[in-house]
Amino acid sequence: MNTMTLYVEKDSPVHRLDPLVKLLYVFASIALTYILPEPLFIAGVLFVTLLLLVIGKVFRNSLPILTLSMFLIFSLVIVQGFFHPDNVTELFSIGPLVFYEEGLYVALVLVLRVLVMIGSFSVLILTTSPDEMVERLIKKGMSPRIGHVILSVLQLIPQMRATTSKITDAQRSRGMETEGSMLTRIKAFFPLMGPVVLNSLNETKERSIALEMRGFGSSTKKTFLNEEKQYPYNKLLAGIIIAIVILGIVWRVMV
Amino acid sequence: MNNNKKSMWSLKLSTAAIVLIPAAIGINYIGKLFASLLRLPLWLDSIGTVLAAMLAGPVIGAAAGIINNIIYGITVSPVSTVYAITSGAIGITVGVMAYKGWIANVKKATIVGLVTGLVAAIVSTPLNMIFWGGQTGNIWGDAFYTFLISNDVPQWLASFGDSIVVDVPDKVVTVLISYFIFKGLPKSLTNIYRQDSEIEEL
Repeated sequence: MNTMTLYVEKDSPVHRLDPLVKLLYVFASIALTYILPEPLFIAGVLFVTLLLLVIGKVFRNSLPILTLSMFLIFSLVIVQGFFHPDNVTELFSIGPLVFYEEGLYVALVLVLRVLVMIGSFSVLILTTSPDEMVERLIKKGMSPRIGHVILSVLQLIPQMRATTSKITDAQRSRGMETEGSMLTRIKAFFPLMGPVVLNSLNETKERSIALEMRGFGSSTKKTFLNEEKQYPYNKLLAGIIIAIVILGIVWRVMV
Repeated sequence: MNNNKKSMWSLKLSTAAIVLIPAAIGINYIGKLFASLLRLPLWLDSIGTVLAAMLAGPVIGAAAGIINNIIYGITVSPVSTVYAITSGAIGITVGVMAYKGWIANVKKATIVGLVTGLVAAIVSTPLNMIFWGGQTGNIWGDAFYTFLISNDVPQWLASFGDSIVVDVPDKVVTVLISYFIFKGLPKSLTNIYRQDSEIEEL
């Protein structure tokens, strides 16, 4: 079935890692950029993250995710560079506006941090199928109900997206205007949104009956369809990541 | 079956209420899609969350909000995961106010929208401070932030202003749209989600 995911199906050492280890890496790498807020150090974390993307053969796929945050990154550099409160040392000026060194430094840390965040998230979401991740989380004690919610959203959205074009066409054929002044466009929002909402709420009714009949509400222990995968070096890798974070904290406290 | 009304905070969720969460997230997504299709100047990406909170209370509202941003994070843009807390707060705010009878008419619904926008801004500000040094990455918000900062306003206050400019108008319109949709829904549909109703389960 068509699902909405960024997962890229490939075979690589990163793909074969335990989703939980990758999740731990996401949190650890972001935490590290706060524990040691030095540009050089964050650049190191970023380098490791990019290396993982390359090993996972998904570096190219991570670029579109990055472009979504380009505006934020530009905005950070410009606003902090020109206007950060601690600005003293002039770097260059455009007319009356002066770009400062302190602001650039602040922006550098922030931008590197954003890059680490996007990068490590990309490692997780590009190399892990949502099914695998949710199943792993459920096995670790997450409620299967939440698991169902997450996975069903991923299927539901493409379905709903398909119906939107139908609704748009149907309403246009009844004379709804989708172009023109702001007021016209605002007015058009309701006839478009109404059917979507009604449709999806009606579906929830049927869905809940179908689920109830299959024992969704039962409190007995659920079993799994797929056999548990074996993840090599699982504990070792998790241990290394945690050790690095602790080392970082110790470093911060000592130095 | 006891005769006491179940609390709105009850965590014993019916299947219908749980199934409402994916639907709400879908509605969020489609709302955003239509808003950009019609080139409206707002995001309108939390209509589903607000509707879910109106229909099923604060717990489902919060769950829909949080899961919405997590899903958006793993499918479109990781940065939005940060705001899961904000979305959760929006769900709680609308859920509680709806439960207390604040969606009786348009005037009250507008107030719900204002409060929700304010709450969203209050919750977002520390997140913005922690993650992006106070900015939001929204062009209008950041322009306002720049204006405030260059007038020697403290950074956190400027950041709060940044969020307010972005969140309040969007949330007022979102709550109003959700209110009109909610009022238009048939009773047979709205009744099945309520956590505080006394429907007997088989």
